Amino acid sequence: MRRQPLVGALSRATGRERYSARETATAAAFMAPSLLLFTVWIFYPLGRSVYLSLHGNDLFGRPARFVGGAQFQELFASPSLREAIVRTAAFTVLTVVPGLVLGTLIALALQAPIRGIGVFRTLLATPFAFSVATASVIFQIFFNPGVGVFNAILGLIHLHPVGWLTNPATALPSVALASVWLQLGYNVLVLSAGLQGIPAEIYEAARLDGARGLTMARRITLPMLTPTLFFLLVVSTVVAIQSFGQIHILTRGGPAGATTTLVYSLYLNAFAFGSTNYGLASAQALVLFAIVVVVTALQFGFLERRVFYR
Amino acid sequence: MKRIAVLIASLVMVSACGGGSPSSSGPAADETAPAGKVVEVSFWHSFAAGANQDATNVLVQRFNDAHTGKIHVTPAFAGDYDTTFSKIKAAVQANQTPSIVQIYDVGTRFMIDSKQITPMQKFIDEDKYTTDLEPVIANYFSINGKLDSMPWNNSLPLLYINRDAFTAAGLDPNKPPATLDEIRADAQKLTKKDASGQTVQYGFGAAIYGWFLEQFAARADVLMCNNGNGRDKDATKILSDSPQLVKVMDWWKQMLADGLALNTGRPTGNMQTAFKAGRVAMTLESTGVLGGFISGSKFQVGAGPYPRSEASTAGGPIVGGAALWIMNNGHPAYEQRAAWEFVKFLEQPDSMAYWHIKTGYFPDTKKSQEDPTDVAFRQTRPQFDVALQQLHAETTDKATQGCVLGVMPQARQANEVAMEQILASGASSKTALSGAVTSIQPAIDQYNQAVGAT
Repeated sequence: MRRQPLVGALSRATGRERYSARETATAAAFMAPSLLLFTVWIFYPLGRSVYLSLHGNDLFGRPARFVGGAQFQELFASPSLREAIVRTAAFTVLTVVPGLVLGTLIALALQAPIRGIGVFRTLLATPFAFSVATASVIFQIFFNPGVGVFNAILGLIHLHPVGWLTNPATALPSVALASVWLQLGYNVLVLSAGLQGIPAEIYEAARLDGARGLTMARRITLPMLTPTLFFLLVVSTVVAIQSFGQIHILTRGGPAGATTTLVYSLYLNAFAFGSTNYGLASAQALVLFAIVVVVTALQFGFLERRVFYR
Repeated sequence: MKRIAVLIASLVMVSACGGGSPSSSGPAADETAPAGKVVEVSFWHSFAAGANQDATNVLVQRFNDAHTGKIHVTPAFAGDYDTTFSKIKAAVQANQTPSIVQIYDVGTRFMIDSKQITPMQKFIDEDKYTTDLEPVIANYFSINGKLDSMPWNNSLPLLYINRDAFTAAGLDPNKPPATLDEIRADAQKLTKKDASGQTVQYGFGAAIYGWFLEQFAARADVLMCNNGNGRDKDATKILSDSPQLVKVMDWWKQMLADGLALNTGRPTGNMQTAFKAGRVAMTLESTGVLGGFISGSKFQVGAGPYPRSEASTAGGPIVGGAALWIMNNGHPAYEQRAAWEFVKFLEQPDSMAYWHIKTGYFPDTKKSQEDPTDVAFRQTRPQFDVALQQLHAETTDKATQGCVLGVMPQARQANEVAMEQILASGASSKTALSGAVTSIQPAIDQYNQAVGAT
């Protein structure tokens, strides 16, 4: 059974013969629960965001007056939006790329036929079990410039201490480091499953044809792994763009705004320090939504054709 | 709808049992709770699990035990100060406010403007109750001499020192530095490096916390916002870029540049850990952490008054902390009376002494300071006396009263961004602090407009 690329499958469905009323009813019945949840948790909030973004707020954040596009005007006029977008992009690249590369390398290493490999597999998948909050609090202790583990290690090899989260230059990469660790367990798990799914016959056939080591990895393993990698790329990009917990706990968007991503600046406008500018925050949320849609569409448009579906 | 129905029902019940027996404190008849019904009082506070929350729960338990069958207080942790402040706004929107909420000092102006509270002064006047509050504590929370809230957990910032490190460096631990210049001089002796040139002990360090900047302003006897710190009339501008504060930030920046101080960023917990671990020999912190410092350090902890930037000794730090507010919307009069009973209970000398001993927050009333258990406690922990002496030495003027501003929490945040720009990004103090003043201006204008319009 050939798996269809998602976009292709959708476009092809329209060309098919029409479904009978009975089939449509069955489909609707199956979709009803998820549609209901989507309506409550996705569609309604989305509609509400549009409504709020067109209104100004009173003292308590209640929509008080219709302001049209004024919130969007204010948003696009301020340089902070562009800065936040650049920061979000940098953060996404810094978490997604290392997450995929390290995840693949670790998943490959975990295929090694040695005794007790199960222990290592379990250990390396454990980050998946950590909540963002727990991991961030632990990383905060590691990053502490005075008594943290990271600076202690640097001290052992006679390197100068680094102001991980206190220096604007290193804060974003440091938060990304914690995020990579958080994401890694899931990546390893999914990639390991992907590797196990590659049939042994293909390797055998390649070996008979004289393929070895790197050739095997480049010509067989990687192409066969592309569906998994593509899935992880899309999912972890969205996760990275929407990251909040680690930023909130580690830096609160600082120092001097160095880690104020789009999501965090939205939070600052809507909730932080007694702020209740829900209108401006909703406008930001819609911009964020548009960005996620565009990025995901681009990934499907440009990268998916390089994915090898069996 | 349901709430309104309940409200009407309870009002009907109240009027129906108007002839009910008056309770010992003797409130008016229409304020009596429905006969035989326990009045539920919800209480939001900002103490996460730990010593402060434990002490809160003990006091609530004592109150409930003494009012069995009449009043029942249910405490709930609503998140840290900022979160509670945001939550109360959301609660107003949803008509789901608690009976009592603990709000930090900088939320004072907003709570008054919200018109969602019953001023504490109303209950004080009705009961002809004497608050007996330490004047400097009442000072911050009073506007035009009236209390809108009841100060509860209050503290001053202190300069904490590692007494062992002082002795080792040949300094007198009984004479903590009093000015920024003295801190610098001592820090030069206290900063120690190992053989490879790594600093193992820094002389000084403080969290990047806007509260400290406000304290430096009050200590130098200058205003933090205009119109007499918002006491004469609503403030329309913050004054973070005063020459005194520029001087403080220049000093702080130079301390970091010369390797005499450590920067651990905004989270106050980071600097507390560094101090307790002996990595930093002097730090700025609230009196509220004194208990934790003493129990968490392997060395002798000393304390001195908050340092000043100016030669003049005029001014003094602001009594910070939080106060209790009784909410009015959706809370019948008898419930508000019950909430007031609980507030009065917390202000009792024995409650306040217990609070002081368990948390380190001030015994806010003069009677609680004379409470035998408190007196005995202070004899064993002389550092707590330093805090109290500083409280008594306070002069009260508009500068030490502190700024009341509707968007003060956001103003503090703007100041913290400026502090980070100066200390971490190398921005000039004057430019960054002026930037804070301009960046917060739209929020101040919008707020004042919104309040003026209602």
